[in-house]
Amino acid sequence: MTFKPRKRGFLGAIALASGLTFALAGCSLEGVDTGSAASDDELAKVEGEISFATLELSSNPDLKKYIEDSIAAFEEEYPGTEVEWIDVPFAGAQEKFAADAAAGNLPDVVNMNPNFAQPLEREGVFLDLDEAAPDLADLYVPGAWDGFKVPGVEGSFGVPWYLTSEVTMYNAGLYEQSGLDPEQAPETFDELYENAATVSAAGAGAFYGLHPALENRFMTDLAKIGVPLIDEDLVWTFNTPDAVAHVEQLAQMYQSGVFPADSVTQTLNDAKEGYMAGTIAAFPSGPNFLNGIEQNSPDVFAKTKVAPQIIADGGTYNMSVMGLLIPKTSENQGTALAFAEFITNAENQLALAKIAPVLPSVTDAIDDEFFQDDSDGTELSKARKLSANQLPNAANLTPVQYDDQVKNAVLAKIQLALTGELSAQDALDQAVDAANEITGATK
Amino acid sequence: MRPRRLLTPWLLLAPALAVALVFHIVPFFRTVQLSFTDFRLSSGGQYIGLENFGALASSEVFWLSAGNTLLYVVVVVPLLVALPLLLALLVQPKIPAMPFFRASFYTPVIASMVVVGLIWVFLLKEQGPVNWLLQTLRIVQEPLPFLTDGTLLLFSCMLVTVWKGLGFYMVIYLTALANVPGELHEAAQVDGAGSIRRFWSVTIPSVRPTMLLVGVLSAIAAMKVYAEIYVIAGPTAGPGGTVRSMVFTIREVGSGFDGQIGYAAAMSLVLFVFTIGLTVVLQKLNRENREA
Repeated sequence: MTFKPRKRGFLGAIALASGLTFALAGCSLEGVDTGSAASDDELAKVEGEISFATLELSSNPDLKKYIEDSIAAFEEEYPGTEVEWIDVPFAGAQEKFAADAAAGNLPDVVNMNPNFAQPLEREGVFLDLDEAAPDLADLYVPGAWDGFKVPGVEGSFGVPWYLTSEVTMYNAGLYEQSGLDPEQAPETFDELYENAATVSAAGAGAFYGLHPALENRFMTDLAKIGVPLIDEDLVWTFNTPDAVAHVEQLAQMYQSGVFPADSVTQTLNDAKEGYMAGTIAAFPSGPNFLNGIEQNSPDVFAKTKVAPQIIADGGTYNMSVMGLLIPKTSENQGTALAFAEFITNAENQLALAKIAPVLPSVTDAIDDEFFQDDSDGTELSKARKLSANQLPNAANLTPVQYDDQVKNAVLAKIQLALTGELSAQDALDQAVDAANEITGATK
Repeated sequence: MRPRRLLTPWLLLAPALAVALVFHIVPFFRTVQLSFTDFRLSSGGQYIGLENFGALASSEVFWLSAGNTLLYVVVVVPLLVALPLLLALLVQPKIPAMPFFRASFYTPVIASMVVVGLIWVFLLKEQGPVNWLLQTLRIVQEPLPFLTDGTLLLFSCMLVTVWKGLGFYMVIYLTALANVPGELHEAAQVDGAGSIRRFWSVTIPSVRPTMLLVGVLSAIAAMKVYAEIYVIAGPTAGPGGTVRSMVFTIREVGSGFDGQIGYAAAMSLVLFVFTIGLTVVLQKLNRENREA
């Protein structure tokens, strides 16, 4: 049997194409489904099934057990409720939640940090807790509660869960090897940079005093030295003389070999790996990083000492906030709210802080003597105490608008300043312009 | 024809057709549709005609991405057409230990691009093995900034693409070489042709269709380059963001809840047209070559 070339195939393709085009013309171009806030009566009802999404907690067996036990305790306290736990890997979580939000099927209680949450908060995806539970705000560390507010939008959208506030970690062994006093931690930015220069000179390429970790620290360091990052109209403003001086200092350090040569394009992970490999002498990070050092590099852990976070005089400490948010598309907002309150209550947060090096966001729990007890002499309990004591004067210093796109646009310019291809002033001016172009389009 | 006989082929086709429809055809037309809108996941979108394409035409970032992508194709494709052929000729003889070499050259193909990228980041560091070798052999005085200089970064990414692709195209060439009739080589040898002459006059003409195939496949792959750049140049696409490819920029502007999906769709469509155009040009070149 032979087939003749047929026109029907071609016609079929055209028919398919036009059919699809018509079908898609009817396809939605609508944005996110925001749902609607439950009434007071509905909020008072605690029953039925809810889903609870966390960010990468199940890989730690202790944390997994903690979450499972907490869910069981909640279900026992509120008979007729059922909580389904979903643990989402950190990588790709933002995309997943964005897609879920667009489809209107976010889990009933979602664990997010303020940067993840911000664009969704702005579109009105989450329940306003100032309205739904007005008494709640007083229970939490103010800086943490404010993390889930969006400039220009009324309300507060997340119950703060666990917090971390970074401390200065340094490798006392490398300090000593470089002729520095291993017991004397750097207390100011100047000391940190001077020590870094001394260590890098002694290391002669084998080890360095500091990694710039631009991805992690550039914006928060500007905030710590008092540079105003963004104004009330959401216009970026960080090209001030103080910022220019800071970038000039970074560039001078990079060009004179205080930072590793490849560090300018490296990420936070490279900086962490460098510290754990014993080739970077100082690394400001949350106390939770100590566990990573202990597991991956016991030698470096043995030499690691901790000191308070470095900020300029009169500055604010930085902290990272994790929160629980309730989308208004949830059919059981009452249960979801009760669960968010339950998981973040003093008792449960204290229990969490005892198995993971994080701090509670509830003031009742943070006052517990556990956080002041460093009598075992370990760096971990010292770090816990230091970071807990920083909390009253701490805030999430990263503006919520500093998302990945803004961050990459800003850092690309700062990298050019470090390599000497742009002056600090030009780099900051261009970075501010690039950031405003991105943020301006969405505000 | 009875209806059953008419239905059977469609039934057999249905699973493949459904996959193609759901995962290829519908997303393609949805991309076309979105490219005429200012759609964002957060706020939705409206039809804005050709505005996205106008914005692309006046966007420096777009032309930088397009220029880099074109440069990538121009550098990588000839290397990926020529080098795997030479490699295939090297490992073609059936002698002991050859399967080991063939497998070795193929290994990078099955390795993840992220792993390959990280290995090359280690090799290309300022204090890494490559710079050590170059300095030891006194080819350079100072270490080369493979990972921090915009131009060198782009070439470092190209190097990784070529290195990772060699094995795959080598296997394609090995199949083609196995099909070259031995008599042709014998006849040429009888006529007094040396190995170089036989390479040009027998091997190349015999594998020319395969060279075109490799050219098209590697060009399409080069147009879509992303992972190499992300891993080696970092999330900013190198200092100043100058090492970006089109796919890198598409992902950057289109991702996240605030991502400009309409604009990214328009850029994807332009990339699609570029890729089709390139394929057509390559095919035409080959046809003219054959007729000449």
